[in-house]
Amino acid sequence: MSSINQIITPTLLPNFRNLGTVLRAILLVNAVALFVALTQADTFSDLLQQLLHGSALLQPVLLTSLLLLYALAPVFAKLPYWQATAAIVVLISLVTFGLDVMGGELFSSQSDVGSFRYIRHVLESAIVILLLLSYFRWRALALSPARQAARLQALQARIRPHFLFNSINAVLAIVRADPKRAETALEDMSDLFRMAMSEPHELVELSKEIELVRQYLALEQLRLGERLQVQWNTDKMPPDALIPPLVLQPLLENAVYHGIEPLTDGGIIEVRIYREDKELHLQVGNPVSPTGKPHNAGHKMALSNIRERLSLLFDVEADYQVEREAGYYSVHILIPYVTETL
Amino acid sequence: MSNDAVILPLSIFIVDDEAPARARLKDLLADCDVQLSLQVVGEASNGQEALDKLAEVHAEVVLMDIRMPQMTGIELARHLNKLEQPPVIIFTTAYDTYAVKAFEQRAIDYLLKPIRLGRLFEALSRARDAVPIRTEILQELMPEARTHLSVHERGKVILVPIEDVLYLRAEMKYVTVRTAEREYLVEESLTAMEREFSIRFVRIHRSCLVAKAAIVGFEKGGDEGESGWLVKLQGISETLPVSRRQWAGVKNLGSI
Repeated sequence: MSSINQIITPTLLPNFRNLGTVLRAILLVNAVALFVALTQADTFSDLLQQLLHGSALLQPVLLTSLLLLYALAPVFAKLPYWQATAAIVVLISLVTFGLDVMGGELFSSQSDVGSFRYIRHVLESAIVILLLLSYFRWRALALSPARQAARLQALQARIRPHFLFNSINAVLAIVRADPKRAETALEDMSDLFRMAMSEPHELVELSKEIELVRQYLALEQLRLGERLQVQWNTDKMPPDALIPPLVLQPLLENAVYHGIEPLTDGGIIEVRIYREDKELHLQVGNPVSPTGKPHNAGHKMALSNIRERLSLLFDVEADYQVEREAGYYSVHILIPYVTETL
Repeated sequence: MSNDAVILPLSIFIVDDEAPARARLKDLLADCDVQLSLQVVGEASNGQEALDKLAEVHAEVVLMDIRMPQMTGIELARHLNKLEQPPVIIFTTAYDTYAVKAFEQRAIDYLLKPIRLGRLFEALSRARDAVPIRTEILQELMPEARTHLSVHERGKVILVPIEDVLYLRAEMKYVTVRTAEREYLVEESLTAMEREFSIRFVRIHRSCLVAKAAIVGFEKGGDEGESGWLVKLQGISETLPVSRRQWAGVKNLGSI
């Protein structure tokens, strides 16, 4: 049972180290604070007063909690969901209580009697964090069918039937004349399809993806011969980086299908992979025929597919841009530089 | 055909942009040759090359890929129809649901890649009695604009890239095609050409279409009954009168 669950259940706990999660948490908590202030205020100046007063305790608690969650994220990730939730609620309650005690008179209001204020603040914190966690849980569940669908769609887009049949045709053409080369071609093809049809991995080694791309290009070279040339710029490529599987390959496939194939004399595809601080850049550029109109539908599908997968994995931390100048087309993808699985 | 007549080998021409695909066809044709007398008379990797070579040698059957650079197989088929003895065309395609459906509806012969010996044999056996595909049907198959105009001149088919054309002018039953270098005559209707190339050309007169990109400006002049304006075009000194009716739609073009 557990093995089935592992496949179907998405991670319900948010990734506390993701910028998107942090931004959402800050926005939602402050929205709650604003709502509370609104219900208590009588005038506009009173509203500001209420907000300021509330923020005095709220902001330190929020920031400390986010820092602690960031630090402890791997620990929570290992716990079962409900235990992790309980642990987080306890942690946040302790943070609230601790800061409340340290602040002393600073956080009290005139109407407070005795120690009730501590209970009030801790309970408020616990309720807000539970609301937040339920929101993230709901979001993970709501997005998971999209994730599955995106995967299926990705599978379909990855194997362009045109490529499959043309490659088989090319292999058939050399079977008699060059059986050795035909063998290699079939081996490349089987590696490529094994990857495309495999269970989705969240991240794979960049070097593996590059090897796959090279096998793919060897197959295309078989058909296109000298028309297809590729220039690799990978000097500044981090050897240990991880990337989502089949992000680079579809970019190359697009470059071949829409760029090189329609050109009578072919052209050069440029691939640049480099790291800049905490970001990994993947860039693929190709010449395009000035007269031929691009087959946009297929192109856009493959690209929106990649975009969707990137945003599911990295949220706002991934960026993706397409540049189209006269006779040249390039795609630039930026993802966080990671060396461990999320 | 009487029994004692000598049957000449079926002459076949191959057009495909991929060398292995052509090699594969030649292998299979060699296999067919055992039972079916045939002869490969040439091969080409794109439309222009095919037209040039087919002006020199005659082929009864052309085996042709659809997706090729420069121009599609369907457009090439339209140009080949201008030859004095148009060949029978058999399309080959790797994967194209749309084209396959269209071919089936119009009973056009096609082969799916990877091509099987049996299917190729059948198609060639039928080819001797087949008739070339009608141009109108090819036009239906590819409703988008052609990339080239084809001109039939002294037994040859010359291709004129549509982006080189400055204007098209109807005269009697022909249309004059003007490029910066020279003029050609084609036997087509200006109205149909206006429809096909509406993105690129604009009508300035009942009998004249002008390439929008070639318009450099306007000058006063022209005969009575016209708008009084002449279009100046890039690369040629000739100016063309704009009719009163078309002036409103034309005057904002040029110098853009």
